[in-house]
Amino acid sequence: MEISDLKALLISGNPDFWPKLAALTGQAHDFEELFLLSSWRKKARARNLARPGPEIPPLKLALLGGCSLYPLHELLAHLCEIQGTPVEVWLGDYDNYVAEIMDETSGLYAFAPNVVWLLPAEGRCQYSGALTDPRTVQQAEAVKTAESLLELARRVNTLTGAEVLLTNFRLPARHDLGAYRSHTLGADWTFRKWVNLELGLNAPAGVRICDLEFLAARLGGLRAADPRGWFETKQPGSPALLFELAREAAHLIAALKRAPKKVLVLDLDNTLWGGVVADDGLEGIELGDTSPRGEAFKAFQKYIASLKQRGVLLAVCSKNDHDKAVEPFEKHPEMVLRLTDIVNFKANWEPKSENIRRMAPELNLGLDSFVFVDDNPAEIDIVRQFAPEVTTLLLGPDSSEYVAQLQDCRLFEPGSITAEDAERTRQYQAEAGRQALAASVTDMDSYLASLAMEASISEFTVVDAPRLSQLINKSNQFNLTTRRRSEAEVLAVMNDPAWVGFSVRLKDRFGDHGLISIVIGRAVAGTLEIDTWLMSCRVLKRQVEETVLNELVRLARARGCHRLEGLYLPTAKNGMVRDFYGRMGLTLTAESDTRRVFELTLENFQPRPTRITLTRRAYEPN
Amino acid sequence: MNQTEVIAKLQTIFDTVFLEPVVLTPAISAKDVPEWDSLTHISLMVAVEKAFGVRFRVGEVETAKNIGEFADLIRKRQQEP
Repeated sequence: MEISDLKALLISGNPDFWPKLAALTGQAHDFEELFLLSSWRKKARARNLARPGPEIPPLKLALLGGCSLYPLHELLAHLCEIQGTPVEVWLGDYDNYVAEIMDETSGLYAFAPNVVWLLPAEGRCQYSGALTDPRTVQQAEAVKTAESLLELARRVNTLTGAEVLLTNFRLPARHDLGAYRSHTLGADWTFRKWVNLELGLNAPAGVRICDLEFLAARLGGLRAADPRGWFETKQPGSPALLFELAREAAHLIAALKRAPKKVLVLDLDNTLWGGVVADDGLEGIELGDTSPRGEAFKAFQKYIASLKQRGVLLAVCSKNDHDKAVEPFEKHPEMVLRLTDIVNFKANWEPKSENIRRMAPELNLGLDSFVFVDDNPAEIDIVRQFAPEVTTLLLGPDSSEYVAQLQDCRLFEPGSITAEDAERTRQYQAEAGRQALAASVTDMDSYLASLAMEASISEFTVVDAPRLSQLINKSNQFNLTTRRRSEAEVLAVMNDPAWVGFSVRLKDRFGDHGLISIVIGRAVAGTLEIDTWLMSCRVLKRQVEETVLNELVRLARARGCHRLEGLYLPTAKNGMVRDFYGRMGLTLTAESDTRRVFELTLENFQPRPTRITLTRRAYEPN
Repeated sequence: MNQTEVIAKLQTIFDTVFLEPVVLTPAISAKDVPEWDSLTHISLMVAVEKAFGVRFRVGEVETAKNIGEFADLIRKRQQEP
């Protein structure tokens, strides 16, 4: 379908024009295209081209601003009509919005709008004093600037009952002032940011922020700016920005009438993890922090878990044997999502459209509150055809983009504030209090205690083997011997009773660090030789080192050893652990250019105190 | 590009934007074409800048009195690096 075909339909008066227009509008990706489609819509109207479907009564939309609202309103009116929320537009005069709102006899009030979109003048969001003025003075002016705009918004909301979309301010994108721009609130850069924060954080019910700062940043500050457009016709930004701005306003208007989606239905294979669990097995699927692809899938799960936190219900719809499908949820150590996170789990060989149709009554929700995501276009197509009420999202082709795809789908944006949200707010406040406490502690011990760290130590397992091998083969800095091992060699360590091998997972109240340390030792004639000790640098000095030492001593004693022997083999990259054993209380017994040997006698060893709670020890499953 | 070639290329843009066929000549201007309102004008200017890879300077488009002068302006801006 091309734009020229659409023109032919218009000229011949063919009613197919309307669905084609809607389709092309959905695909339009720049100002020029959208604007052309908008002008043809108007021409089709002018020619009375018959339109299928019932006529929807329009919302009355007033646009007020300190810039030209033309052609912005054309784009917006077009998008609104196409999305099924047609608008009747009233345009305020250029930069006359204060008078229009203050004067109750103005045309604005005669129009009696349902929605008011206000775009305040950028030129008046500027600090009036000197860059070097006291910060309190600059800040007070920012607060006042925001407050007077909120007052206007409140007033028009109170007098008309209209929902107000209040546009905030674009930030400058020029180097003006250099680094100094961040050191004063008097710069446009900082002043507008402050005003924008005040606007958003203090917006009352009935006033919604149209986040121009965000839209321009997303587009790129330089691409958003258009000084020529300002000087010629007082445009608020470049055509590209107008396009984004109109789409945002249309989205906000649609959201007034439409609840956010409630259920996210997830495919499994190649959606939540890489690979096919039924073919590749629990050990073969890609998930977790030791491969880039596995990390991407884990990040996707984490984002989905955050949606659950916001109140989105999670469901699974997978073409799989049920037993195979649940296995990762029950047994895979890197799964973020667990069975308790899933409200409805359908893994079978029925069409996915049927499965989702069945979920609706089971959850007592309409099909139109469901969103289905899958990496397979065929499955998406089946659901589109046979459960058209469900919104679908095709993932891919690159799993590193999954999170972004879901973040940009605009289906789970919280609408208004509910009692439930308020409860959540209280929880957040409590958490913020805890974090403030952590930020205020000055000594290391209190800080570590405040992290509420939990470590789980596990002997090597078959499921972990790929991850163990990957970490062993990529860890360079905190790695005492840099001995590399294949998956098979890891399994060999696991199966030889003379060897001990364990790994450590750590989490704290900010999240899960995953598998972060690996140790391999061998018991030889009363000595436990430490063959490998490596750790992820991101948990350095969190007392994982001490925790590992305690565990090593415990395991050595359990095997009848009375001595630990540690070896440091220097490489170009592991200088940071050259004196590590010394710092841990071992004694240097031999040294050459290529190796340093340390020992620790276990007789009088006292476990090192740590702030880490152990939830599991190696070779002791519970 | 000479003026005739520029006008020929402009013709293709006008053919897309306008429903009623318009035959461009150097002497024609907006007031001769009923469909050429301010809305259409914006479409045209965005399309022209894109198609010719030019950027007009502030205020200069409105100084062109007809298509011939507009084509000359495009040529002038095309010669810039």
